[in-house]
Amino acid sequence: MSDQKRFLDKDYTRRQFLKLSGKSLVGVAMSSAMLSTLGVTAGALAEDQVRVWAFPQGLLVVNADRCVGCQRCEINCTLTNDGCCSSYISRVKVTRNLYSSRNGNGLYTENNWTYFPDTCRQCEDPACGNACPMGAIVAGEDGIRRVDQDKCVGCGACVEACPWHMPTVNPVTNKSSKCVMCGACVEGCPSGALSIVPWDKITAAAQEV
Amino acid sequence: MSVKNGINGWAGSVLRVNLTTGAITTEDTLPKYKPYIGGMGLGYKVIWDEVPLDTDPLGPDAKVVFAVGPLTASGVPCSGRMNVSCLSCWSKGDSIVDAHMGGHIAHAFKYAGYDALIVEGQSDKPVYIKIDDEKVTIEDASEVWGKGTFETNATLTKANGDEFDVASIGQAGENLVPMSCMVTSFGNSGGGGVGAVLGSKKVKALVVRGTGAVKIARPLEVKLLSNYMIKDLVGGNNNHNVPTVPQTWAEYSATTKNRWQGAPGVTWDKAPNGPIDMGEQPSGVINVAALRCNKGVFDFGEIAEKYTVKQGGCSSCPVRCYTEYDMDPLADYDLPTHVSNTCIPITGQTGIYCEGTHDFVDEGDAKVILGGAGSRAQDDFGVWCNYGNLKTDFIRAYKDGILKEHMTEEEWNAVPWDLMKDGDPRWAVEFYRLIAEGKGAWGVIGKGSYYMYKEWGLDDATKNSAGKNYYDEVSGQNTNVTYNGYPKHHSSEDAWQSGLLYNVLYNRDCMIHHCTNFVRSGSPYEEVIKPVLESFFGEGCVDAPKAYTPINENKIKLAKWAFNGKQWHDSATLCNWMYPMTLSTSKKRGYKGDLDLDAKYMSAVVGEDYTRDSIDFDCERISNMLRAMTAISFKLRLDSSNLRKDHDAVPAWVFDKEPDFKAFEEGTVKMDRDDWEKSLDMFYEAMGWDKETGIPTRETLEKFDLGDMADKLAELGLIS
Repeated sequence: MSDQKRFLDKDYTRRQFLKLSGKSLVGVAMSSAMLSTLGVTAGALAEDQVRVWAFPQGLLVVNADRCVGCQRCEINCTLTNDGCCSSYISRVKVTRNLYSSRNGNGLYTENNWTYFPDTCRQCEDPACGNACPMGAIVAGEDGIRRVDQDKCVGCGACVEACPWHMPTVNPVTNKSSKCVMCGACVEGCPSGALSIVPWDKITAAAQEV
Repeated sequence: MSVKNGINGWAGSVLRVNLTTGAITTEDTLPKYKPYIGGMGLGYKVIWDEVPLDTDPLGPDAKVVFAVGPLTASGVPCSGRMNVSCLSCWSKGDSIVDAHMGGHIAHAFKYAGYDALIVEGQSDKPVYIKIDDEKVTIEDASEVWGKGTFETNATLTKANGDEFDVASIGQAGENLVPMSCMVTSFGNSGGGGVGAVLGSKKVKALVVRGTGAVKIARPLEVKLLSNYMIKDLVGGNNNHNVPTVPQTWAEYSATTKNRWQGAPGVTWDKAPNGPIDMGEQPSGVINVAALRCNKGVFDFGEIAEKYTVKQGGCSSCPVRCYTEYDMDPLADYDLPTHVSNTCIPITGQTGIYCEGTHDFVDEGDAKVILGGAGSRAQDDFGVWCNYGNLKTDFIRAYKDGILKEHMTEEEWNAVPWDLMKDGDPRWAVEFYRLIAEGKGAWGVIGKGSYYMYKEWGLDDATKNSAGKNYYDEVSGQNTNVTYNGYPKHHSSEDAWQSGLLYNVLYNRDCMIHHCTNFVRSGSPYEEVIKPVLESFFGEGCVDAPKAYTPINENKIKLAKWAFNGKQWHDSATLCNWMYPMTLSTSKKRGYKGDLDLDAKYMSAVVGEDYTRDSIDFDCERISNMLRAMTAISFKLRLDSSNLRKDHDAVPAWVFDKEPDFKAFEEGTVKMDRDDWEKSLDMFYEAMGWDKETGIPTRETLEKFDLGDMADKLAELGLIS
């Protein structure tokens, strides 16, 4: 198999994006076909308004300009994973950015129209898992890191350690939870602010130079 | 945290804050309030039990009830509504009235663990109520008293933390101006005079953080039902179910301009990283649902695209009806450029420029730029427009010379009329400042139509220099639907006798969108609207546009469905602009919606068996509470014993407009007086109300376990 062929291979494309996962895409050269597939503009990349995360199902793209603040990502996350409806314990977080976020954005700031969901970065070297004193955050066979509810003692070390504070200790169960890459947030996003581009489409776009 | 208490749907607690004593208590929701659902029904029960209906609405014994319901924050789409009940301080009879607030605060409140907040007593200094889950405190608001709502909301979020949402009153409420509201998010407001009621209690704001959850009996079923609603049922704003612009997948495009304006080539021009094209939005696809509504383009035409950043709205709603603008021409006037609102609060603003307007940058942009400046100023001062009546009352009084008559020369000269005459957007700031200050003639306008007309003799053509009755006058400006001080809100012009019937039953504009939603859906009448509606309500329940027919039983059924259904939405809570799902976007469904959806939601959220009939029954109870309380108020305050004559009377213009037509001729929506009287007879009978007085009979009230209301009506001699 030639290097050229391997670059176009579905799994290899995913590995390329794993390296970019969660990182700034500023300075990354993308073909117009790839930009179109991701649903973003070169300008948005240059302005650091787009982040991508490598999921098993495809590439998760967060487009801040498209977020309309409906919170359906949090709703679908908690209905799917927690059997209830909540913002605070959601694994994807938009409400904390809606009113007045730590970055000076939100409806009650001067940047009124800047709000968007924060998603788990699925870090290669996970601060949450590294900080857990119980070793409760471990990757399964599918590579997805989950919080082992039996081991978790709700100490909150993972919340503090995560630079984006994405894990949350549920105040009712006193157990932490983090994104398990189920895709419910994306499936229910009505504006396409969150989208998962399947790997075969990424591969196809990569072939169009 | 509701999930703790094991109750599905409801949060389980009602919070009570007494501002006189400082006492903060809670009680269980369900034992007492379950038959009243939540929201409006719960609020009415509290007011009925605790506030005598002759209480001063702005006095220490008045109460305000903020309430959400079992579907609020359950995951169900468009459940981000909070109902606020209190006694009216501005409409005839000062009876029970509601404000309906969107934004995000209803979700925060429910997540904090509460179904309702009862605010009672009066503080002697400005305060705000802080709810941080189970920690509830009365906080000093002196720093924000006197400030506009935008600054207040920003200040209180900053002071308390990023995750706190806020709803606040502006200077209008503080100054006890009845035409006042509270404002949350960005331009989402609850009106009905609630600003003044809170102002009388010295409550500046409600500040809320909720880290809890709403427990759901069958969460995956709720998710699937929600997906079904978004995929197969809901269209654009007001559930307009076919796109205005033809789309390749769509069988129909709208027969009339509707609220599904998203289309290829329609853009959010000011998106930070370049225009976002709204593209096609096929039925069956969730991820494009929020791109169907472009309320800016509906409100102003394509000029709105130039200033559009994105579309916003309420929690859980996939249909975004608040266009969020950056109107840079306003910067030239040192005005904020970020504005957002929808419908009358933004489209009606050019009206306050009585001498005309001018464009700014592009041809035809005056309406959008002045609309933006006006809506922002109105919201900032916390002024409520009474669905446009505030502005039309001003315009009529100005043009008829009435306003000048009621001002001293000094007062008149102090008004910066040049700004108005120049079409300067700063006029809006001055106009709403004057209304919010509540002084002199401006204070009279700010009392609302009922008291303004009374004070200036505008309710009697012989008592004012213009020789007009402001209720009856046939004029484009006059939309008063009763003699009680509020305008029509999608009435007979949209929905024949049925629309007019439910327009006269509340103590404010009815806010019912049940019928306008399908009438103005854009679907073809013969192929979609008529067959779908007749499949629900029987032959003849609907009329073709401007081709009305005399009243019949099925139009009464339609009116009753809409009237009771509105109570359901404000109690559940669900957005009445969107629900019920009468029509659908789906060709394979024959565009027929699903009126059983709400019962399916309830069954999945609460885990008990609900049906459309069981919900209708509970809502008809609330309809009767509204009616009985209104009758009691009218007796106690006005010594009236007849709601038919004294509350439900319809002004002459509804029957006398378009003099070249007779009612029921093709081309007119005017009503016929005899037919209207017959409509009232039939509707009262269908509701179990006395035909002579329009007051519920004892038998009707007892059917809904409202025997205590029947006893009070009997004690006052209103029923036997």
